[in-house]
Amino acid sequence: MNPRKLLRIAKWEVTKNAGGVDKRTVAIMAVSVVAMVLVAGLAASSGASGLDSGLYRIGVDESSSYYAPASDDAAFVVQEPDPAAVERGDQELLFVGTQLASSPEDPKERAALGEFRTSVDRYNSRQMAREDNRTAAEPVSVTLVYLEQSGVSETIASDSGSDGDGDGGSAGGSSAGSGGDGGDGGSAGGSTDSDTGGLAGLGAGLTGGSTTGSPSDIQPPFPFESLVLAFLFIVPMNFVIQAYGSTMLSERLNRRGELLLVSPVSRFDIVAGKTMPYFLGAMGVVTAITLGLRFGGLTAGGGPIAVLAMLPIALLFLSATFCGAMFARSFKELTFVTVTVTVSLTSYAFVPAIFTDVTPIALISPLTVVVRDLQAQTVTASNFAFSTIPPTLTAVVLFGLGAGLYREEDMFTQRAIPLKVLDALSGRIKSNWSALKLSVLLIPLVLVAELVAIALIFPLQGLSTALTIPLILGAVVLIEEVAKSLHLYAGYTSGRYDRSLRTGVVVGTLSGVGFFLAEKVTLVAQLVNPGLREIQTSQVGLELLPSGVPIWLTVAVLLLLPLLLHVVTATVSSLGARRSRRSYLLALGTAMAIHFAYNYTVVIALGQ
Amino acid sequence: MIEARDLRKEYGDFVAVEGSTFSVDRGEVFGVIGPNGAGKTTTLKMLSGLLEPTSGDVSVAGYDVTDTEMRQQLGFLPEESPLYEEMTPLSYLRFFADLYDVPTDVATERMHDTLDELELEHRERKLGDMSKGMKRKVAIARSLINDPDVLVYDEPASGLDPLTTNYVIQFTEQLAREGKTIVFSAHNLYHVETICDRVAIMNEGQIVARGDLEALQDEYGDREYHVYTTVEVPGAVAENGNWRRVVETMDGVEDVRAAAAERGGEVIDIRTEESSLEEVFLNVAESETPGTRYVEEA
Repeated sequence: MNPRKLLRIAKWEVTKNAGGVDKRTVAIMAVSVVAMVLVAGLAASSGASGLDSGLYRIGVDESSSYYAPASDDAAFVVQEPDPAAVERGDQELLFVGTQLASSPEDPKERAALGEFRTSVDRYNSRQMAREDNRTAAEPVSVTLVYLEQSGVSETIASDSGSDGDGDGGSAGGSSAGSGGDGGDGGSAGGSTDSDTGGLAGLGAGLTGGSTTGSPSDIQPPFPFESLVLAFLFIVPMNFVIQAYGSTMLSERLNRRGELLLVSPVSRFDIVAGKTMPYFLGAMGVVTAITLGLRFGGLTAGGGPIAVLAMLPIALLFLSATFCGAMFARSFKELTFVTVTVTVSLTSYAFVPAIFTDVTPIALISPLTVVVRDLQAQTVTASNFAFSTIPPTLTAVVLFGLGAGLYREEDMFTQRAIPLKVLDALSGRIKSNWSALKLSVLLIPLVLVAELVAIALIFPLQGLSTALTIPLILGAVVLIEEVAKSLHLYAGYTSGRYDRSLRTGVVVGTLSGVGFFLAEKVTLVAQLVNPGLREIQTSQVGLELLPSGVPIWLTVAVLLLLPLLLHVVTATVSSLGARRSRRSYLLALGTAMAIHFAYNYTVVIALGQ
Repeated sequence: MIEARDLRKEYGDFVAVEGSTFSVDRGEVFGVIGPNGAGKTTTLKMLSGLLEPTSGDVSVAGYDVTDTEMRQQLGFLPEESPLYEEMTPLSYLRFFADLYDVPTDVATERMHDTLDELELEHRERKLGDMSKGMKRKVAIARSLINDPDVLVYDEPASGLDPLTTNYVIQFTEQLAREGKTIVFSAHNLYHVETICDRVAIMNEGQIVARGDLEALQDEYGDREYHVYTTVEVPGAVAENGNWRRVVETMDGVEDVRAAAAERGGEVIDIRTEESSLEEVFLNVAESETPGTRYVEEA
């Protein structure tokens, strides 16, 4: 790679595209971005209630008992009672003493009245809470204690917490539904988790850890700040990839990129040069948002960690879009590709980050690290590495696959997307050993795909644990078996592998061995992370082994059996792939069944 | 200057080019002709390093075509003019001058000189707003921005109006006179015949004939002798007060001469008419099966 030429291409990429956008469009885009940052930042800093601050105007005298409730609620601007102001529409509500002197007619006035009634209720509750005689004031008192959950099992258990029904029957009892840690919650003098499942367990960090009040006061907390911050950082990525995908595809349409390919630069210079402006643009926006939030006083933290954690996300979005632009045959197909990239990667990055304060699983997304850093929470090096390394490696693999297609004979052909995927893989095959190499190279992609699957399936656990575990196992099996065998099929269809039985067994075995080795390396890396150890061990079934198991059996379970599994399933797929597509699909199905049975046995049977 | 040996290009099961071997000397203009799908463009793209041969070797100016240094020595003009239409001719040429490491002052002078020679006005107009002929001129100027020794031109006049076509062909002739080594493909065989020193005729992915034009005409063309006599001889037609008999061999000429003498006349003129390259091409293309029949080189 030639950095000088790379920079020239990057410079001309900016110049070329700058010529295609008029100044008015640039100005509108800039204003939109600034407005979005301001609105989202203000929303994040003030929470959900900030949105209706000063929304209603109420005329009430200081002597009225309604003055205090109105003054305490930011939604209301308290004014001197003035019937003329009501007439003019400058006041929504007017009270004389405790009597409503205006008649709310329009929707805003009616909404103001409804909101004021709620305010008065809340005010009364607060007053009651100050009473010395607690029993008289609140016959039923509920204390919610939010505890950080440490793994999937706890979160699942929390769903089964008993509902506080407000009938007083559980007063003084303890039925906190926080799994194994639930006992700790009893220290508040008995707690009834009124709505433990779903949102009740979310956003503990936002509310300071505990809430006390009457049952009517308890609102399901929502991780609004995490949501807004995650949203703020993920949105620019979706804009950047639209422009990036478009420019990469336009190189392919009408053979515009042909002359770059024949100039004295490598295709890697071209790809890197054309990508650099979009990458730097994305990181520039991310840096600006971080600085704006931090120095605008909108967040407590935010610095280099937040910016660096966004780097793999930017790379992942760009690399996936680049691959898609290499596969797509038209802007219509590119639209489909970018929507797919947007939805899947946003799910992977955004959804877990909303639950930053809830579960360590959120760390599968680098965006969680961003949100934590912005909230001035500690981010350990192992947390950072766990969140960022898989997407970074995946981005490298995706760029590599796409660059494999960045050549004349692939860029300008109208082959279907599946065939181009096979081309991208077969381009990397030089000998039978390539089977091992490709299985190793695809591991980051497998890891991120599995994390995306977990991120998508995880919320379903609220419906049925019995359903989610097979779903996760099935998704993992599908992803791993396709990753082990698709490049073998590509090798057969392109003629890089001969279709003999011997080659079928050899490349299948090599693929299985390669996958096993890479998988174990990533497993060791994940186990280093103390915060995630429970998740990882539950994935591999370590904790399911009965105590006193001999070391040889442990080694067999951890090493030999998975090795045998991967070799067998990859070989089965390979033998099918060497015949035809139909045979490959049948063999792949068989391999998946074997793999699923193995995983199910390890995770379920040994766990009982 | 260019050496291609046993070039082969496969696309899956399809063999686009097979067993192509040829060389082009410095300063020579080498034409590649053949019907659609014969493998001309694929061959030219392999010469320019755009396509990697499935097997075989090709070098340009002593460099292997996979070497990016080779590209400094080469100017490639594809059949279409795929330009960045948001750019102006000047910004477009500057971009490529940058990629070819041409110093800014040299690049500026060179692109203005070339555009002057090509008579291209509106140099600050967006390429997307230009006519096809103007775009073609910009594409030609781009192929010359690095002052290459070797030019590979694929159908340089394709799709242009007759006036622009004539202009482009004349400009290519001028480049040839300046000593550029040119590999040139065209459907219009008149252009090839006008410009090229040697040609290769391709069919179904193979070079089926190759050599200088005279040798190809000898081998695949027809030669006729128009013998003019003062008296009528068998088979002759009257023409301008004399008689003209067409024969295909020198023996036939002698027969006519003898017949005229018998009748008290004489042969007053003999004119030779040879097949055009087009007729040579058709003769080769219509031959039963393609096979490499080198005329000039072993």
